Amino acid sequence: MKKSVLFTLVICIITFFTSCEDVIQIKLDEGSKLYVIDAFVNNLREDQKIRVITNDNYFSNKEAPPVTNALVILEDATTGQQYTFNYQSNGYYVYPITALDTIAKLNHNYRLKVTIEGHTYTSTAAQKRTAILDTIIAGIDQGAGFGPASKDSAYNCLLYARDIADNKPDYYWIKTFRNDTLFAGSGEINICIDGTGGVVIDAPQDTIKFTPPSTLLSFKQYKKYNTCKVQIHSLSRENYFFFIQMQLQINNGGLFATTPENVKTNIITPEGARTKAVGRFNMASVVEKKIIVK
Amino acid sequence: MALNFSAQEKFTLSGYIKDAKNGEALIGATVYKQGSQIGGSANEYGFFSITLPKGVHIIGASLIGYKTFTISVNLNQNINKTIELNEERTQLEEVEVTAEQEDRNIKSVEMGVSRLDIKQINKIPALFGEVDVVRVIQLLPGVTTVGEGASGFNVRGGNIDQNLILLDEAPVYNSSHLFGFFSVFNPDAVKDVKLIKGGIPAQYGGRVSSILDIRMKEGNSKKLTVSGGIGTIFSRLSIEGPIIKDKMSFIIAGRRSYIDALLKPFLKSTNPLKNSQFYFYDLTAKINYRINEKNTVFASGYFGRDVFGLSVFGFNWGNATGTVRWNHIINNKLFMNVTGCYSNYNYYLEFKLQQLNQSFKWKSNIINYSIKPDFTYYADSKNTIRFGMQALMYDFLPYNAVGQFEQGSSVTFKSAKRYGIEYAVYAGNENKILPRLTLEYGLRISTYQYLGKGKAYYYGDTLLNEPLPLDSIANFKNGQIIKSYVNPEPRFSLNYVINSQSSFKASYNRMAQYLQLISNTAASTPLDVYTIASNNLKPLIADQGSFGYFRNFKDNMFETSIEVYYKYLQNQLDYVDNANLFINETVEGELLQGLGRAYGAEFYIKKNKGKLNGWISYTLSKTERLMRGISNDDWFLSRYDRTHCLNTSVNYDLTKQWNLSANFVYLSGVPASFPNSRIQIQSYNIPYNTDNIRNNYRITPYHRLDVGATYNVNMEKHWVRKSKRRAKLYRIIGKDTDNIDIPRKIFRNHESSWVFSVYNVYNRRNAFSIFFRTKGDMPTQTEAVRFSVIGSVVPAITYNFKF
Repeated sequence: MKKSVLFTLVICIITFFTSCEDVIQIKLDEGSKLYVIDAFVNNLREDQKIRVITNDNYFSNKEAPPVTNALVILEDATTGQQYTFNYQSNGYYVYPITALDTIAKLNHNYRLKVTIEGHTYTSTAAQKRTAILDTIIAGIDQGAGFGPASKDSAYNCLLYARDIADNKPDYYWIKTFRNDTLFAGSGEINICIDGTGGVVIDAPQDTIKFTPPSTLLSFKQYKKYNTCKVQIHSLSRENYFFFIQMQLQINNGGLFATTPENVKTNIITPEGARTKAVGRFNMASVVEKKIIVK
Repeated sequence: MALNFSAQEKFTLSGYIKDAKNGEALIGATVYKQGSQIGGSANEYGFFSITLPKGVHIIGASLIGYKTFTISVNLNQNINKTIELNEERTQLEEVEVTAEQEDRNIKSVEMGVSRLDIKQINKIPALFGEVDVVRVIQLLPGVTTVGEGASGFNVRGGNIDQNLILLDEAPVYNSSHLFGFFSVFNPDAVKDVKLIKGGIPAQYGGRVSSILDIRMKEGNSKKLTVSGGIGTIFSRLSIEGPIIKDKMSFIIAGRRSYIDALLKPFLKSTNPLKNSQFYFYDLTAKINYRINEKNTVFASGYFGRDVFGLSVFGFNWGNATGTVRWNHIINNKLFMNVTGCYSNYNYYLEFKLQQLNQSFKWKSNIINYSIKPDFTYYADSKNTIRFGMQALMYDFLPYNAVGQFEQGSSVTFKSAKRYGIEYAVYAGNENKILPRLTLEYGLRISTYQYLGKGKAYYYGDTLLNEPLPLDSIANFKNGQIIKSYVNPEPRFSLNYVINSQSSFKASYNRMAQYLQLISNTAASTPLDVYTIASNNLKPLIADQGSFGYFRNFKDNMFETSIEVYYKYLQNQLDYVDNANLFINETVEGELLQGLGRAYGAEFYIKKNKGKLNGWISYTLSKTERLMRGISNDDWFLSRYDRTHCLNTSVNYDLTKQWNLSANFVYLSGVPASFPNSRIQIQSYNIPYNTDNIRNNYRITPYHRLDVGATYNVNMEKHWVRKSKRRAKLYRIIGKDTDNIDIPRKIFRNHESSWVFSVYNVYNRRNAFSIFFRTKGDMPTQTEAVRFSVIGSVVPAITYNFKF
């Protein structure tokens, strides 16, 4: 939340003063090669994907270089069952979900094993519970948002959700879609601990009902008859902090920029492997709701 | 034999030095026996004491900008006298100046000290035409900032929290308005500004890099005056005057910004700022009462807030300080001042959805109480001893947050309050050991206790650059000592006068600091809070040594100096990666403490006299940090390291009415950490540095030129012209012209001026930072962006008046 506060401050400073942003050309050094493993698996009834790529020159304008020769296995450590993901394209390895089958089961532990050129990179995750999504309300913005609505995008959506109250923190990633397109901008990441916008770490803080800013779903983004879809994904504590860190790193401009740092990884590089791997592995429970805006 | 005996009988001349026009005490004015080296300077309250053998002496008193005053004193007993100095009429008149007043930089033991009086500050062209103490400080050698809009300033490689900012002796925790564009000090109420970077005397302590000692005016004790200004961003008004002539006077000064109100009509209804609040105000007031010859009391206060709000989001912060002082002349040689202070910095933050009764509120504050009895003993013509003590109590609330999710249902996150108390005793002696050699030596012993009632957190060990895991929490009762620290802080300065034009100086000081600002952003945000030393957070210790050569030329027309310094810091703060510094009970587990070092050379040349005056300073410096787990455990450049720093400030008195001024600054770009690749996770492009080196690049240099012109309206001329015109008119219409001169008589002593300024004349977009982002909606396209806080020329006009 701190970031959103600062972000707002910066916007206001920019408007009041004469500050500006200019795209500039600079020459950067080239870093050594890294494998990047992007494994966010969930219990939705859709094909599950894990991506294996390498890092790239910062200013590269191409898709991330894929790693095509990896062996990607997801193991349910609770049952011992193994799921092999097969290479499709663009670095994506896919496991198709059939009508009855799911990989992700609540409270199971999972192990990810990605073998590249004889070295196996591993990570573990547990499937956490998610929140209860009651409803989404769409309404004409009466100035409740960051200003009055304009004519053609006059709808706001508000999330009504509940956190399970039992003195254990839950970490959520609230993904919001318009007509099935995710709001994926760097400033549109909505994560929280329980329902409080993620401001207090590790304190017993069950909020029962979600509070702002977590309940504010991408203001002024909807038009009449658009669909608004919300998914609440459960995150591990470590992945929650990864999002916090990533959010800072990809929005790190303005007066209140922080010292850049490398995002943390939960992928373990085996001893002897010459190429390090970075990335994230998370197993999510998901609730989903969709409404037509009117 | 008899002659010798009588020569040993000595008496003291003591008293106050004041401005004849408004009764303000003149800080730093010198009183001396003419034609000798004997003398001293007035302290912060204008008090002086000079001891001489019995007999008739010609005593001189002087201060730059004032006519030298001489008096013949028959010293056959101790004499108490108030000396009043008259201002020099204008800068243009050739004034006879005696050497005693202008070679202070040579003869004084002070080094690393810059003093500015408000008249000087007023002439420097300013951003938005508004004179600002802190922005002027940034033009001095050894002082830098990370950029426009950054609050505070960095002295010789120190963090902004390493400057002790005192407003009439009360510490000010956040010296900024509007995130750092302006400082909280209203220039109309400021009398004197002194920045001490090195050779810090024993009476000061609590911060390791510098002392910025700001003294407020006492208020005109002769007549009621009203002054003010109307500017682009805000307006000022101050009233000062006697309550009882020459005994009791006051000043009250206020400011209010109105940019939000001015902008509102121009904003479209869709602009998110249409319903916003965005302003600051402050009020500074002081009253003093001279009870009798020996006792004077002062009470002063500051209150200011910045308010910022949108419909769903509100935010405000501010300082309040209060000081009560009692000056007591115990005897001709012993001066006492007791200061009691209160200081409070707090902020509130709020998200709210009114229709739904949902909100999230958050506040934090730091309160400080202090008492400081301070004594100056003018032992003899060779020794001036200063001693005293200080007790400071910290009462600190890291956070108190309340989330309300519907009517009547809420959740509270409140941290335990933290308490600390700092005691110090100190003594220092300025000893004129030889006619050419002056030593100032002193010792300050500071003690700090981290106190209950509260919780103490104990942490275990972990991997480098990871938050420490919480081991246990212990509860402490009210007043119970959780942890204490004792630090002896030796202070030493030396001045060897080579000849009347040059001197060599050296100094060493150790300083201890028991609270630090927790901030990992480029510019400190108003949300940043101080935290006090604890069982986990050790006090910051700095050792600084410096040498200087001071030389004046052409009968003190030019002052020059070269100073070199080396500073070594222990327990400097840094943060583990992804540290969460807000609303975090275990924040101390995410702090790192390491070493810092800073060294540099400062070159300074100042022209004091003539139509063209001003200064040029150049600093060559380096500032580094060493932290376990950061930048591969190697020394890295600090965020505000500036290799080259050139500051020029010139002033030209064109005519009696017109005064022109200009500043030019050139600073090496600050270091920055740039990525050498990107990684993609969940389609987000994340900058990544595979070498893991911090501050591996430097952003482009900062340079800027500002110009200003002040037009002083000649009121006499103005009214004579007006009267003539009116007389002509009246004669034509046949009206009586007897009273035509009345307005002229009333208004001729009024002063008014127009200040025209242009900031950033050649429209340079100086980089505040360079950051990396994904281009719009194209996930494969990334770009580097230069962020400039001031992206254009900023012209401004201000009208100032005084009557």
